[in-house]
Amino acid sequence: MKKRKDLKTVLNDFKSYLRFWIKTFRGQVTVLCLIGLAILPFITTNTYIIGIFNTFMIYTIFAASWDFLAGYVGQVSFGHAIFLGVSAYVTAFTVKFFLFPWWFALILGAFFAVLFGLIVGVPSLRLKGPYLALGTLSMSLILYELFKMSSLGLLWEATFPGTELFGTTGIGQIIIFTDIPQIFYIVIFIIMCVVVVFLTHFVKSNTGTILKAIRDDETGAKASGINTTKYKVIAFMISGFIAGIAGGLFTFRHTGVNPGIFQPLYSFYAIIMAALGGIATISGSALGAFIFVFLGEILRLLGDNPNITGTIGGFVEPIFVFSIILIIIIRFAEHGLLKPALERLKSLWDLILGR
Amino acid sequence: MGVILEVKNLTKKFAGLTAVNDMSFEIQRGEFVGLIGPNGAGKTTIFNVISGLEKPNSGSIRFDGRDITGMKPHKIVNLGLVRTFQLVRSFKFMTLLDNINVSCLSPRGKEIAKEYGIDEYSSTILGSVGLIDKARLPPVILPHGDLRKLQIGKALGTNPQLLLLDEPFSGLSHEEAVDITELIESLHSDGVTVFVTGHVLRELMGLVPRVIAMHQGKFIADGPPKEVANNKIVLEAYLGRGGTFA
Repeated sequence: MKKRKDLKTVLNDFKSYLRFWIKTFRGQVTVLCLIGLAILPFITTNTYIIGIFNTFMIYTIFAASWDFLAGYVGQVSFGHAIFLGVSAYVTAFTVKFFLFPWWFALILGAFFAVLFGLIVGVPSLRLKGPYLALGTLSMSLILYELFKMSSLGLLWEATFPGTELFGTTGIGQIIIFTDIPQIFYIVIFIIMCVVVVFLTHFVKSNTGTILKAIRDDETGAKASGINTTKYKVIAFMISGFIAGIAGGLFTFRHTGVNPGIFQPLYSFYAIIMAALGGIATISGSALGAFIFVFLGEILRLLGDNPNITGTIGGFVEPIFVFSIILIIIIRFAEHGLLKPALERLKSLWDLILGR
Repeated sequence: MGVILEVKNLTKKFAGLTAVNDMSFEIQRGEFVGLIGPNGAGKTTIFNVISGLEKPNSGSIRFDGRDITGMKPHKIVNLGLVRTFQLVRSFKFMTLLDNINVSCLSPRGKEIAKEYGIDEYSSTILGSVGLIDKARLPPVILPHGDLRKLQIGKALGTNPQLLLLDEPFSGLSHEEAVDITELIESLHSDGVTVFVTGHVLRELMGLVPRVIAMHQGKFIADGPPKEVANNKIVLEAYLGRGGTFA
């Protein structure tokens, strides 16, 4: 009679998996990228560059949370900005007004994001496909409008004098982050690695198998005795928590929060990044986020360039460019760019080595 | 022994069409029963209602002494009543082993499976349905007969007391049908109560000791195959007036 695996066996399994993984091309490329990322803050003190990489890593976390829900559980949410926004606000306010330590505020923010997500999102889980998308999208739109409402703002000012519902700034009092930006970078880096590793291995667990079954054939899963509602809610909570962590980090990155964080635009960003990298490949979110952030920055610089105005200026609008890119990806590389990119890279590498 | 499934006055309508009309019957534990009727008779609908995929308009269903009318499908499965589908369903993008694993991870299946290890238990099931050498393959590439075996394997993962097999022979070649017949017979001799539907009579009649016949949603006969095959109303249902069975 075999008992459930104990911690020692799980760790040993993980170690042997690592030993195997490090020998694969993909594993080696990943390790190289990780090393590159890890040493970046030590080879440059340029806050602009560090800032962009911070945004990239935060977006990776956000996109990965969406990819998990959509690619592995089949629930395509168009309202992930809800998690981002709720967590961002909670984190901001608990740090500014209650002076909570940053890590506690982060977890609290993510927790409230999940709570809120459960209230507004769970009813949407009864919907399928396009209706789930519409449901989640409309929920996030409602929140966005709510936070923008001036009448609500007056009520808010009465309760929290000196601030606006429209947001707050001055989260820069997390001194340790502002004095030594490298620390913030390292923190985000560690969180990103933990999130990606966790998600990648979670989908291979027994629970992950159940979630994938729900994605492939929900009625079939029910006919196999699975309480699909329970598992969809669990997946939603995990996805929401991770998205919430991204939201809190976002607040620290921008040292402030405003209703803009609830814009459906951010939900679309998650989808674009995940689709670019490859839906149902957690690490694809990193590639997608990288392309998104760096291409986005190039487009922003182009847009700010005084020589590019008028109609041409419209063409470098990020959302326009990315929408076109998304259409191209869906047409020519519907499983995202990560796998083809790795394949091309590998053939190139083999060529160089003369294999 | 005892009654494992009791269906009383079951009626199911779909926007004016009465798919199941006041059906009542009982199945004893350990029995091997067939359900026949021409296409459109309501066989799949009855299975859908019994397994919880549809709610009846009136009537009741009792399984193993419990009223399961209107219960959620996954709860019914976890009581020991599982069905397979006429149009084969599978988790297309997962391996066969993972397909079976899902059933073994249901609360009911897990009770047994975790004693042996989920993968090991699923492998045993795959072996018993003759698919163990394809354990790491995804269903997308399997022939139809194998998919039917997979379905039965998935049902077995939930440790069923009563197995509802919806048209398990349809679309199969002769060899594949023989395989499935042997599999079902061995399941029955292991103690599982089996309730099978079909609309090609020859394969079913030789297999089961008792047959329930329905037509246009209504019950028309219940008894040993030879009797039911010679029942006038059954003949009329299949062949129209004035026909005989070959």
